[in-house]
Amino acid sequence: MSTSDRDWDEGGPERLYVITGGRADSTEQADLDLVTLIVSREEPKAGIQPELAAILRVCRSPVSVAEISAHLTLPTSVISVLLADLLADGRVEARTPASSRPDIALIEAVIDGLQNL
Amino acid sequence: MAVVTAVIATIAPTGGRAPAIWCGVVATVMVALVSAEAARRGRAVAALRAEYATREAALLQDLRRQEAATIRLAEQHLPAAVARLQEGEFAEDVLLSVSAQDEALSPQSQAAHQALLRSVVEAVQAEESMRDSAQRGVVNIARRVQAIVHQQATDLRAMEDRHGQEPAFFADLLRLDHGTALIGRLADSIAVLGGARPGRQWSKAVPLYSVLRGAMSRILDYQRVELHTVAEVAVVGTAVEPLIHALAELLDNASRYSPPKTRVHLTAVEVHMGIAIEVEDGGVGLSEEARSRAEGMLKEARAGIDLNDLGESPRLGLAVVGRLAQAYDFKVALPPSVYGGVRAVLTVPKSLLTTAPATGRAHGIGASSGPRPADRPAAAQGAPSREATEAFAPRTASPSPDAYRNAGAAVDTHEAVDTDGSAPVRADDRTGEETPAEAERTASGLPQRRRRRPATGPAARTAPRPGPAETAHEEPAPGVWMAELQSGLSADKPRAAPPRANSDTSDKGE
Repeated sequence: MSTSDRDWDEGGPERLYVITGGRADSTEQADLDLVTLIVSREEPKAGIQPELAAILRVCRSPVSVAEISAHLTLPTSVISVLLADLLADGRVEARTPASSRPDIALIEAVIDGLQNL
Repeated sequence: MAVVTAVIATIAPTGGRAPAIWCGVVATVMVALVSAEAARRGRAVAALRAEYATREAALLQDLRRQEAATIRLAEQHLPAAVARLQEGEFAEDVLLSVSAQDEALSPQSQAAHQALLRSVVEAVQAEESMRDSAQRGVVNIARRVQAIVHQQATDLRAMEDRHGQEPAFFADLLRLDHGTALIGRLADSIAVLGGARPGRQWSKAVPLYSVLRGAMSRILDYQRVELHTVAEVAVVGTAVEPLIHALAELLDNASRYSPPKTRVHLTAVEVHMGIAIEVEDGGVGLSEEARSRAEGMLKEARAGIDLNDLGESPRLGLAVVGRLAQAYDFKVALPPSVYGGVRAVLTVPKSLLTTAPATGRAHGIGASSGPRPADRPAAAQGAPSREATEAFAPRTASPSPDAYRNAGAAVDTHEAVDTDGSAPVRADDRTGEETPAEAERTASGLPQRRRRRPATGPAARTAPRPGPAETAHEEPAPGVWMAELQSGLSADKPRAAPPRANSDTSDKGE
């Protein structure tokens, strides 16, 4: 872990816009948020972009977008652009965990109830 | 005359014989004397003539020697002296070594030659030093721009990380980042033309794939560049920046001088000499004449570029490529393209390549462009999560100071930023490590928390960590241990201690 961190300090010669091909935003179209779980459906093929290969490897078991971002030390926007590509090709699957979307009305009702006590 | 005297003596009357004989004798003697004298003079003239001939020959020889010396001065000594001056030798040294050769000349002409040489050398020297200082000034400015650009790029990257979740911000940051990279390339070009190294230095080998994308990062139309097969090698640190820069210039030329809709193809294949990187565009192509002119430009640049020669609308690209090729032993050729466009092939010699698994794990790209076998032990992706998994096991299994010490070697990243009581003990035990691995530091030198820590750190310290063995040998499985951690936390009773814990502590001795 330590070596990878030092590498990161030095940085790579490529900039992020090259990794995403100049795109910055695909959150809406791909419907991804930080806690969406991603799981890969196939092994990386030879010759694909290293970041995509890394995502496919990391996502052998379901991993959230935020975790992928931490693993690849890339910002979330970059990850979601890459994931949008993978989703479009059907190479990964996205599942939005139901528990991560609590019913806001219910919470508000509880808060109201507590305040009324 | 003697015969005439004898005839007269016989035919003359006896009375006049004696005077006649005398006259004859005298005349004979006179004639003899005269002819002897004439012969002597004749000989003297011949001797003189010979002497003059030799003197003339000597003079002519002198003249020829002088002429030769002058020609030698003009054709050999002066150009040699100028060349050596241009290579940076001192004027005095050049004068000393050049002048000592003309022994055959007279002192005056030798002095004259010397004076001529001296004045020429001094004039050249003055011009050279003027050009040198101009170049140094240019390089100096370029260096300052480079420093600012580098700082800017680092800041931008930090901002990109910070605002990575806000797409609108992020898009703007990417645009700024791109613009900064373009400025950086220009500054690099100026530095190279000023005879300096381009930009930053890389201490480690960088995978070729990253190098190619680094080159793409620095051109305006990077979206048009299509990256094809890339050989799985890494470029040694010293050659990374020059290679990136040379390729960026070639890519820039290719994208600039081809129709805006066409693609620029970038491939890197292994060849006998090393790696051949091809940049090919779908433009109109160069005529044979233009092609040879461009190749001539590359060759000229190898000989050295004068900043003054760049002209009003400088085409820096090829000049820079040629200069870099000369300095780093790249071979650049512009062979005819099959598709009618322009094709540039840059060959990187084997000496600048390394097959060692690339160390650059930046952005999790890893050593190779292709996929990695899952069971490779030191795979870039596998290493972090596995270490993290192992790191937590000994703490929960045997929370004795010894265990901490053993684990310390592997997990010092975490411990370096720990704030609990045991941190000092562990910090002392880290003496053997080459560099403390709390590499994530802020600009002020303070250690920075890792992103994942807040979630895992405290929980792992207090809660028993169930079954790391299943995940320990798998590749990344980052979600699995998280899930297990949560289930372990929520369970009433912790599951059995990790089976691998003991072996972990024993086989991880210092």
